[in-house]
Amino acid sequence: MKLGIMVLEGPYQHQAADSAYYFVRAALARGHQIAGIFLFADGVQNANRFINPPGERNIGQRFEELAAQGIRVVACTACAKFRGLKPDIKSQHLQLSGLGVLADYLREADRFVTFGD
Amino acid sequence: MLMRKAPYGSVYPAEGFRAMMGVAVFELPLCVIFLDDGVYTLVKGQDPSALEMKPLGAGFPTLPDVGIKEFYVHDQSLAERGLTAADLVMQARVVSGTEIEKILAGCAAVLPF
Repeated sequence: MKLGIMVLEGPYQHQAADSAYYFVRAALARGHQIAGIFLFADGVQNANRFINPPGERNIGQRFEELAAQGIRVVACTACAKFRGLKPDIKSQHLQLSGLGVLADYLREADRFVTFGD
Repeated sequence: MLMRKAPYGSVYPAEGFRAMMGVAVFELPLCVIFLDDGVYTLVKGQDPSALEMKPLGAGFPTLPDVGIKEFYVHDQSLAERGLTAADLVMQARVVSGTEIEKILAGCAAVLPF
Protein backbone atom coordinates (compact mmCIF):
# COMPACT_ATOMS: atom_id res chain seq x y z
CA MET A 1 0.00 0.00 0.00
CA LYS A 2 1.16 3.55 -0.71
CA LEU A 3 0.94 5.92 2.27
CA GLY A 4 0.95 9.71 2.34
CA ILE A 5 2.08 11.43 5.54
CA MET A 6 1.62 14.94 6.92
CA VAL A 7 3.28 16.26 10.09
CA LEU A 8 1.81 19.37 11.72
CA GLU A 9 3.98 19.69 14.84
CA GLY A 10 7.67 20.43 15.38
CA PRO A 11 10.20 18.34 17.31
CA TYR A 12 10.18 17.63 21.07
CA GLN A 13 7.20 19.85 22.05
CA HIS A 14 4.76 17.27 20.79
CA GLN A 15 4.72 13.56 20.01
CA ALA A 16 3.54 13.96 16.41
CA ALA A 17 7.01 14.06 14.78
CA ASP A 18 8.16 10.98 16.72
CA SER A 19 4.98 9.08 15.88
CA ALA A 20 5.28 9.94 12.18
CA TYR A 21 8.86 8.65 12.09
CA TYR A 22 8.02 5.35 13.84
CA PHE A 23 4.93 4.93 11.66
CA VAL A 24 6.94 5.40 8.46
CA ARG A 25 9.66 2.99 9.63
CA ALA A 26 7.10 0.36 10.60
CA ALA A 27 5.26 0.80 7.27
CA LEU A 28 8.51 0.40 5.31
CA ALA A 29 9.43 -2.69 7.36
CA ARG A 30 6.07 -4.19 6.35
CA GLY A 31 6.80 -3.54 2.69
CA HIS A 32 4.53 -0.51 2.22
CA GLN A 33 5.55 2.44 0.08
CA ILE A 34 5.61 6.08 1.15
CA ALA A 35 4.22 8.60 -1.36
CA GLY A 36 5.95 11.28 0.70
CA ILE A 37 6.09 13.17 3.97
CA PHE A 38 4.77 16.73 3.98
CA LEU A 39 5.96 18.95 6.84
CA PHE A 40 3.30 21.62 7.29
CA ALA A 41 2.72 24.40 9.87
CA ASP A 42 5.15 23.86 12.79
CA GLY A 43 6.09 20.53 11.21
CA VAL A 44 8.63 22.45 9.10
CA GLN A 45 10.78 22.87 12.24
CA ASN A 46 11.74 19.20 11.81
CA ALA A 47 13.64 20.22 8.67
CA ASN A 48 16.24 22.26 10.61
CA ARG A 49 19.68 20.70 10.12
CA PHE A 50 21.01 22.45 13.23
CA ILE A 51 18.81 20.43 15.59
CA ASN A 52 21.33 19.05 18.06
CA PRO A 53 19.84 17.74 21.32
CA PRO A 54 22.60 16.69 23.75
CA GLY A 55 22.17 13.04 24.68
CA GLU A 56 18.71 12.75 23.10
CA ARG A 57 17.20 11.33 19.92
CA ASN A 58 17.76 13.68 17.01
CA ILE A 59 14.35 14.20 15.42
CA GLY A 60 15.72 16.42 12.64
CA GLN A 61 18.23 13.73 11.75
CA ARG A 62 15.46 11.13 11.60
CA PHE A 63 13.68 12.97 8.78
CA GLU A 64 17.02 13.55 7.04
CA GLU A 65 17.72 9.81 7.32
CA LEU A 66 14.36 8.97 5.70
CA ALA A 67 14.96 11.54 2.94
CA ALA A 68 18.48 10.19 2.33
CA GLN A 69 16.88 6.75 1.78
CA GLY A 70 14.95 8.26 -1.10
CA ILE A 71 11.67 9.11 0.61
CA ARG A 72 10.34 12.45 -0.52
CA VAL A 73 10.31 14.72 2.56
CA VAL A 74 9.05 18.20 1.73
CA ALA A 75 8.63 21.19 4.03
CA CYS A 76 6.08 23.88 3.14
CA THR A 77 7.88 26.95 1.79
CA ALA A 78 5.37 29.47 3.18
CA CYS A 79 5.41 27.85 6.66
CA ALA A 80 9.23 27.92 6.56
CA LYS A 81 9.14 31.66 5.83
CA PHE A 82 6.80 32.23 8.78
CA ARG A 83 9.39 30.55 11.01
CA GLY A 84 12.62 32.00 9.58
CA LEU A 85 13.71 28.61 8.27
CA LYS A 86 15.93 29.71 5.40
CA PRO A 87 16.91 27.19 2.70
CA ASP A 88 20.51 27.02 4.01
CA ILE A 89 19.20 25.90 7.43
CA LYS A 90 17.29 23.00 5.87
CA SER A 91 18.58 19.41 6.15
CA GLN A 92 20.40 18.27 3.05
CA HIS A 93 17.98 15.75 1.54
CA LEU A 94 14.74 17.55 2.41
CA GLN A 95 13.08 19.90 -0.05
CA LEU A 96 11.09 23.10 0.32
CA SER A 97 7.96 23.32 -1.81
CA GLY A 98 4.31 24.36 -1.85
CA LEU A 99 0.91 22.82 -1.28
CA GLY A 100 0.97 21.29 -4.76
CA VAL A 101 3.15 18.59 -3.22
CA LEU A 102 0.47 17.87 -0.62
CA ALA A 103 -2.05 17.58 -3.47
CA ASP A 104 0.32 15.16 -5.26
CA TYR A 105 0.66 12.97 -2.15
CA LEU A 106 -3.11 12.93 -1.68
CA ARG A 107 -3.54 11.85 -5.29
CA GLU A 108 -0.84 9.16 -5.19
CA ALA A 109 -1.51 7.65 -1.76
CA ASP A 110 -3.94 4.81 -1.02
CA ARG A 111 -4.14 6.08 2.57
CA PHE A 112 -3.20 9.46 3.98
CA VAL A 113 -2.21 9.85 7.64
CA THR A 114 -1.86 13.15 9.52
CA PHE A 115 0.23 13.50 12.68
CA GLY A 116 -0.67 16.59 14.69
CA ASP A 117 -2.37 17.89 17.81
CA MET B 1 -11.08 18.62 5.49
CA LEU B 2 -12.01 18.48 9.14
CA MET B 3 -12.03 21.79 11.06
CA ARG B 4 -12.08 21.00 14.76
CA LYS B 5 -10.36 23.86 16.57
CA ALA B 6 -11.23 27.39 17.71
CA PRO B 7 -10.10 30.08 15.26
CA TYR B 8 -7.30 31.95 17.10
CA GLY B 9 -5.91 29.76 19.92
CA SER B 10 -3.61 27.84 17.59
CA VAL B 11 -2.43 28.05 14.00
CA TYR B 12 -4.44 24.95 13.03
CA PRO B 13 -7.58 26.60 11.56
CA ALA B 14 -5.54 29.18 9.62
CA GLU B 15 -3.31 26.43 8.20
CA GLY B 16 -6.37 24.30 7.50
CA PHE B 17 -7.79 27.17 5.48
CA ARG B 18 -4.50 27.53 3.56
CA ALA B 19 -4.35 23.79 2.96
CA MET B 20 -7.88 23.66 1.54
CA MET B 21 -7.17 26.63 -0.77
CA GLY B 22 -3.86 25.07 -1.83
CA VAL B 23 -5.25 21.62 -2.47
CA ALA B 24 -8.40 22.86 -4.22
CA VAL B 25 -6.46 24.88 -6.83
CA PHE B 26 -4.85 21.59 -7.88
CA GLU B 27 -8.36 20.36 -8.62
CA LEU B 28 -8.67 17.74 -5.92
CA PRO B 29 -12.34 17.54 -4.96
CA LEU B 30 -12.85 18.23 -1.28
CA CYS B 31 -15.51 18.99 1.29
CA VAL B 32 -15.16 20.85 4.57
CA ILE B 33 -16.68 19.69 7.85
CA PHE B 34 -16.82 21.99 10.88
CA LEU B 35 -17.22 20.40 14.27
CA ASP B 36 -16.37 20.90 17.95
CA ASP B 37 -14.79 24.37 18.48
CA GLY B 38 -14.17 24.44 14.73
CA VAL B 39 -17.71 25.80 14.29
CA TYR B 40 -16.47 29.09 15.78
CA THR B 41 -14.28 29.66 12.69
CA LEU B 42 -17.51 30.24 10.74
CA VAL B 43 -19.17 32.66 13.16
CA LYS B 44 -20.11 36.12 11.81
CA GLY B 45 -18.52 39.32 13.08
CA GLN B 46 -15.11 37.99 14.14
CA ASP B 47 -12.74 40.81 15.09
CA PRO B 48 -9.32 39.57 16.20
CA SER B 49 -7.72 43.01 15.62
CA ALA B 50 -6.80 43.22 19.34
CA LEU B 51 -4.64 40.14 18.71
CA GLU B 52 -3.17 41.72 15.57
CA MET B 53 -4.55 38.78 13.61
CA LYS B 54 -6.74 38.67 10.53
CA PRO B 55 -10.35 37.49 10.77
CA LEU B 56 -10.56 33.90 9.60
CA GLY B 57 -14.28 33.70 8.99
CA ALA B 58 -14.13 36.20 6.14
CA GLY B 59 -12.14 33.77 3.98
CA PHE B 60 -14.55 30.84 3.97
CA PRO B 61 -17.26 32.37 1.73
CA THR B 62 -14.56 32.75 -0.99
CA LEU B 63 -13.87 29.00 -1.11
CA PRO B 64 -16.58 28.21 -3.70
CA ASP B 65 -14.49 30.39 -6.07
CA VAL B 66 -11.70 27.77 -5.94
CA GLY B 67 -14.16 24.95 -6.52
CA ILE B 68 -15.02 23.88 -2.97
CA LYS B 69 -18.78 23.44 -2.94
CA GLU B 70 -19.58 21.16 0.01
CA PHE B 71 -19.67 22.59 3.52
CA TYR B 72 -21.07 20.75 6.54
CA VAL B 73 -21.54 21.86 10.15
CA HIS B 74 -22.13 19.45 13.02
CA ASP B 75 -25.54 20.13 14.56
CA GLN B 76 -24.60 19.15 18.11
CA SER B 77 -21.41 21.27 18.08
CA LEU B 78 -23.53 24.30 17.08
CA ALA B 79 -26.20 23.59 19.70
CA GLU B 80 -23.70 23.05 22.53
CA ARG B 81 -22.28 26.51 21.82
CA GLY B 82 -25.65 28.27 21.59
CA LEU B 83 -25.24 28.83 17.84
CA THR B 84 -27.53 28.33 14.86
CA ALA B 85 -26.96 28.33 11.09
CA ALA B 86 -28.03 32.02 11.11
CA ASP B 87 -24.88 32.91 13.09
CA LEU B 88 -22.56 31.66 10.35
CA VAL B 89 -20.77 33.65 7.62
CA MET B 90 -21.95 31.27 4.91
CA GLN B 91 -24.50 28.62 4.09
CA ALA B 92 -23.41 25.19 5.23
CA ARG B 93 -25.46 22.03 5.59
CA VAL B 94 -26.20 21.31 9.25
CA VAL B 95 -25.68 17.58 9.75
CA SER B 96 -25.73 15.01 12.55
CA GLY B 97 -22.76 12.99 13.78
CA THR B 98 -24.13 9.93 11.98
CA GLU B 99 -24.26 11.87 8.70
CA ILE B 100 -20.67 13.06 9.25
CA GLU B 101 -19.60 9.44 9.72
CA LYS B 102 -21.15 8.60 6.35
CA ILE B 103 -19.52 11.59 4.64
CA LEU B 104 -16.10 10.68 6.06
CA ALA B 105 -16.54 7.05 5.02
CA GLY B 106 -16.96 8.29 1.43
CA CYS B 107 -13.74 10.37 1.48
CA ALA B 108 -10.47 9.00 0.08
CA ALA B 109 -8.51 10.97 2.70
CA VAL B 110 -9.31 13.04 5.78
CA LEU B 111 -7.16 16.00 6.77
CA PRO B 112 -7.83 17.01 10.39
CA PHE B 113 -6.97 20.60 11.38
